[in-house]
Amino acid sequence: MRIQVSHDLLDRQLVDVDGRLIGKVDDVEFALDAHGTPYLRTLLTGPGALGLRVGGRIGRMLVLTAERFVSDRPMVPLRIPYGFVARIDSAVWLRIRAEDLPTSPVELWLRRHLIGRIPGAGRAGG
Amino acid sequence: MKKLLAATLGILSAVGGFVDIGDLVAAGQAGARFGMAHSWVLLLGVIAICAYAEMAGRIAAVTGRAVFDLVRERLGARMALVNLIASYVVTVITLAAELGGVALALQLASGVPYLLWVPVAGAAVWLVLWRVRFPVMERLFGLAGLTLVVFAVALFWLPTDWAALGRGAVSIDDGGQGWGAYWFVAVALFASTVSPYEVFFFSSGGVEERWSAADLADARFSVLVGFPVGGFLALSLIATATVVLRPAGLTVSDLDDVAHPVVLAFGGVGLAIAALAFFAVTFGAALETGLSAAYAAAQYFGWQWGKRVSPREAARFHTVLLVSVLLGVLLLLTRIDPVTLTEYMLIISAVALPLTYLPILVVANDRTYLGDRVNGRWLNVLGAVLLLVIVAAAIAAIPVAIGTRMGQ
Repeated sequence: MRIQVSHDLLDRQLVDVDGRLIGKVDDVEFALDAHGTPYLRTLLTGPGALGLRVGGRIGRMLVLTAERFVSDRPMVPLRIPYGFVARIDSAVWLRIRAEDLPTSPVELWLRRHLIGRIPGAGRAGG
Repeated sequence: MKKLLAATLGILSAVGGFVDIGDLVAAGQAGARFGMAHSWVLLLGVIAICAYAEMAGRIAAVTGRAVFDLVRERLGARMALVNLIASYVVTVITLAAELGGVALALQLASGVPYLLWVPVAGAAVWLVLWRVRFPVMERLFGLAGLTLVVFAVALFWLPTDWAALGRGAVSIDDGGQGWGAYWFVAVALFASTVSPYEVFFFSSGGVEERWSAADLADARFSVLVGFPVGGFLALSLIATATVVLRPAGLTVSDLDDVAHPVVLAFGGVGLAIAALAFFAVTFGAALETGLSAAYAAAQYFGWQWGKRVSPREAARFHTVLLVSVLLGVLLLLTRIDPVTLTEYMLIISAVALPLTYLPILVVANDRTYLGDRVNGRWLNVLGAVLLLVIVAAAIAAIPVAIGTRMGQ
């Protein structure tokens, strides 16, 4: 499949096999194969990768805000091997489930310390 | 009936989007100071929001992507983040103004000072966002907002000179108030009609309701009923102010003044209905702005969002929702006047308009998203012309606001 990384891939929504939202394609990583030909190896998602791409003061502030919620710094982005991508349309669909990937540390912290403590947090509104 | 219920998303988007505290004030002021001379602005605004909400709804139905997804994809990570920050600030200020409106409506009904109602209103809005299912919320507040029709009914009750009203609507006249003030009110009224959070909310609501390509007719129906109904309600607010407040030389500085024509027509019952209508539209708008702020953030970052999943699974989304409502309450407790707050909010939001509407127009023409459901030629011509109007309003907003000292 022929894709244009900047137009079809960057900034698109990542969706797992059940339709759950995982994050955006905040950055990508290339590597060289045995013949020295570059190929798309990994999709990166998370504030660490996004902050670097946004750059400047605003990008640094983004990373600093997110890092308040984690203990091990600097914050590493979630890395998704390109082989997990099933198809690309208005979103990037993965062939794996969200559970098979580590959950965002910010999401986990807020779930544990704030939202999960409010009565009724386990019930879907619909 | 089922078809009409399908329109409630459009009605709530419109009722919460532009028939809200901003419009109650802007429309009341426009009518009291300039009569019907701003009718064309309202008409243009309704056409613009219909055209762009239709595109956003179609994109949401076909691709499952809401407006801020498109903003990020088309403006890129950095520019979209600037837009997110601007939109978030505007939306939270609006949320504060709406909470102020809820509190003022409660003051109108109870006589208890509005500041005491502010924390109650904030808690009630958050509770509805936390517990109530999306379709119930949409129908309850969309339909309750329709009680605002009491203003149109009052026009028939009052000794309205319909011919003069009609003439006023087709002639553009500064009414002796100065053209600077005329254009200031025009920009504010236009901005309140096409506020970005209306399309954030409408498209995200479509995703929440799991629209698919099969629901395109319903989505279009919802747009073409909901937003014109909102426009009609706003027009009747201008008209009652024109008929009652303008000849008496009264201006609008509070919700009591906006309700005055209805009280004149129906007495205490009129006051009760007007208070209920104000409560419904501002509460609906508070829900809409709160959700829009959280939708925009979640869609920019790609977080799980929405009311279909439990709050636990969308912790970041619900945190933004909670923080936004808290910020709104705190902003009001500084005793800033909600009506003044609304006026500033409308000018800031006018500046940010093109950043939201350009990506919608671009994606609505992208075949990789929409296949053969891209815009037709005429919709593109209309969309481009309206975008020029939006850009013109954005450029004019600050100079007009400074030049007239906020429309003095």
